[in-house]
Amino acid sequence: MDESRPIFLQIAEQIEGDIISGALGEETQVPSTNEFAAFLRVNPATAGKGVNLLVDEGILYKKRGIGMFVAEGARARLVAKRRDQFSTQYVRPLIEEAAKLGISAEQLADLIRKEQTA
Amino acid sequence: MSAVTARPRNRILPVVKLHFANPWTTITFPWIVMLTILVLTILVWMLILANIADPVDQAKTREGFGYSGSSGFIFVYMIVVAVQSINTMFPFAQGYGVTRRNFALGTGLYFVLLSAFYSVGLTLLSIIEDATGGWGVGGSLFSVAYFGDTPPERLFVFFAIFILFFFAGSAIAAIYLRWKAFGITTFFIALAFLLVGLVALVTFVEGWDEVGAWFARTGLVGSFAWSLVISALAALGGYAVLRRTTPKN
Amino acid sequence: MTAVVEVDGLTRKFGSLAAVNDATFRVEQNQIYGLLGRNGAGKTTLMQLLTGQQFASEGSIRVFGENPVENAQVLQNTCFIKESQKYPEDFQPRHVFKSAAWFFPNWDADFAAELATEFRVPLKRKMKKLSRGQVSAVGVIVGLASRAPLTFFDEPYLGLDAVARQLFYDRLLEDFGEHPRSIILSTHLIDEVSNLLEHVLVIDDGRIIIDAPADDLRGSATNVVGPAAAVEKFVAARTVLHRDGIGGLASVTVAALTPAEVSTARSAGLELSPVSLQQLIIRMTTEKEMEQSA
Repeated sequence: MDESRPIFLQIAEQIEGDIISGALGEETQVPSTNEFAAFLRVNPATAGKGVNLLVDEGILYKKRGIGMFVAEGARARLVAKRRDQFSTQYVRPLIEEAAKLGISAEQLADLIRKEQTA
Repeated sequence: MSAVTARPRNRILPVVKLHFANPWTTITFPWIVMLTILVLTILVWMLILANIADPVDQAKTREGFGYSGSSGFIFVYMIVVAVQSINTMFPFAQGYGVTRRNFALGTGLYFVLLSAFYSVGLTLLSIIEDATGGWGVGGSLFSVAYFGDTPPERLFVFFAIFILFFFAGSAIAAIYLRWKAFGITTFFIALAFLLVGLVALVTFVEGWDEVGAWFARTGLVGSFAWSLVISALAALGGYAVLRRTTPKN
Repeated sequence: MTAVVEVDGLTRKFGSLAAVNDATFRVEQNQIYGLLGRNGAGKTTLMQLLTGQQFASEGSIRVFGENPVENAQVLQNTCFIKESQKYPEDFQPRHVFKSAAWFFPNWDADFAAELATEFRVPLKRKMKKLSRGQVSAVGVIVGLASRAPLTFFDEPYLGLDAVARQLFYDRLLEDFGEHPRSIILSTHLIDEVSNLLEHVLVIDDGRIIIDAPADDLRGSATNVVGPAAAVEKFVAARTVLHRDGIGGLASVTVAALTPAEVSTARSAGLELSPVSLQQLIIRMTTEKEMEQSA
C-alpha cells in the first residue's frame, strides 16, 4: 500500500490489473468488500469505495444477493483506457529521463527494439 | 442497536452474580480456613486436657475454653472481602458499563446474602457445639457468651456483626478509592477526634454509669440492633462517596 | 447519518489544568474512528467522559442521544477496554468471559473462545499469573466479543507483541465487516492502525486539532525533494507544513498537489514522496504547538 495516493484508488487499480492480466475473468465473481478489506488490512469502507469506483465505471456490477461480478467487455474497456494513458504515464517519463541522460530519439528507438527481441 | 427495556432488577442481579463469579475468595477459602481453625482448636484443647490429670483442674480449664476468640477470624476476613469488593470490583464493574447506583445496590445485596449465609452457618455450628457439649471438650468457639445464649439470638448477632463489618469496611474502602491516602488519613484522624471527644464528653458529665445501665437495659440483641443503624449510615455514606468517584490514572 | 456520539464544548478541568478543552465533534455510526494524540494529550480522559466514568466540568455529551452519566441503558451498549485494567482477586480468564456475558447483550461466547485460542490465553490460570501480553489479550478479547454498538479501545494493545497486535487488527477488521458497529481506537502507534481508520480525531493538550476523514488526510500532503533552489521556487506560493534539508538538498512538505502540479514538479527535476499519516499528524501537531507558544 502506497501512502501517497488514496487507498481506494490503489484498490481499484489492483482489481483493474487483475482483470487485464486475466486473473479475474469476465462474469466471474470478485471477492466481497469485506474480504478485500481483511486481505489488504484496510477499513471496509475504503475497500468499498474502490469497488464502487469500478461499479460506476461499469467495470464491475452487482448481482443482488450474490455479490460483485466482472462485467462483460470490462477487459477490453480497461485495455483501451490504459492505452490512452500509456503515453502520459510511460512514454513521456521515458523521453524525459532519456533527455537527462543525453540519449537521442534514434538511440532510444534502438534500445527499445533491442529489449523487445531479448 | 438492541432495544433495551427498562427492567432495573435485571441490572442489579448481574452485579451480585459478578461478586459470586469466583467463589474461591469469598466462600471456599474462608470456610476451609475456619474449619481448619476449628479442628486445630479442638486438637489443642484435647492435648491440653490430656496433660491435666486432676479433675478439678480439668473443670477449671474447661471453663477457660469457653472464651475462645479464634472465631473472630471470619469476621475480620469479611472486612478484607468488603475492601476488595470496592477497590477492585468497582473499577472492573465500571469497565462493564455498570452505573454507580446499580453497583451500590448489587453490592449491598451481595453483602446481605453473604451475611445471611455465614450467620446461618455459624449458628448451625454453634448448635452442634452445644449438642456435643463443646465438641466433647467443653470448648466454645461459636457458642461463646458474647454472641448470645440461644440460636436465634446468635443468628441475629452474627448477622448484625457481618453487616456492620461489610458496610463499614466498604465505606472506608470507598473513601480510599476516591481520596486515596489523604482521604483515609483524614477520615481516621477525624474519627479519632470524634471518639476522643465523645469519651471526654461522657467523662465530663460523669455519664459512664448511665452508659453501662443503658447497655444492660438494651441487652445484647438490642445493642446489635442499634449497630444496624450504624451499618445503614455506613451504607449511605459509602454510596455518597462512590457517586462522585472517578478513575485514577 | 446518525451520530452515536455528539460532544459540544466539552471541558474537563483538574484544578487549572484542562485535560479536555472545549471539544466539539461527532462520531458517526458504524465507522472506525482513530483517537490519536501524544501521551497525556487527553485521550483517556475523553473516553472516560464519553462513558460516564469522568464528570464534565463544562459542555454537553450525548451518547445514543442521551447523557451517559449513570445511564444504565446507554452504558449497556458501550464497552470500554483499557490497558491497565485490574481484575478481581483470583479471577481467571474464564471468569472474565463468563461474567462479560451478563453485561453485554451481544456477547458471543464462541467468538471469545476462538480468540482465546488464537491469542494463546490459558483459560484456567489466575489473571495475576498471566504475562502482560496475555492480560492485554484478555481485554482485547472482551472488547471484540462484546459486539457492543459503541466500543472503545484505549491503547489496550500496548502489552501485545507485534504478532498479537497484527492479529488484533485483523480480527477487528474482519468482525467489523461482519458485525458493523462504532469503534473508537486510541493509540499513539499511528502508522500501525492508519489503514484501519475511516475517520481521524487528533487531540493535543486537551484540544481537538484534527477532525477529518482518513482518506482526506492521507491525500492532503506531499513531500517535495530536490536541489534546494528548485524546491524553494516550486513551493514559493504554497502553504509549507514542514521544512527539512541537508547540504544542498531540501525536503519540504506541502499541501496536496493536483496532477498538473505533479507534472510541473517532475519536469523541474523534483521528486515527490508520500507523507505517512503519522508524519502528517506529527507535523501538524508540532506546528500547532509552535503556534500556541509563539
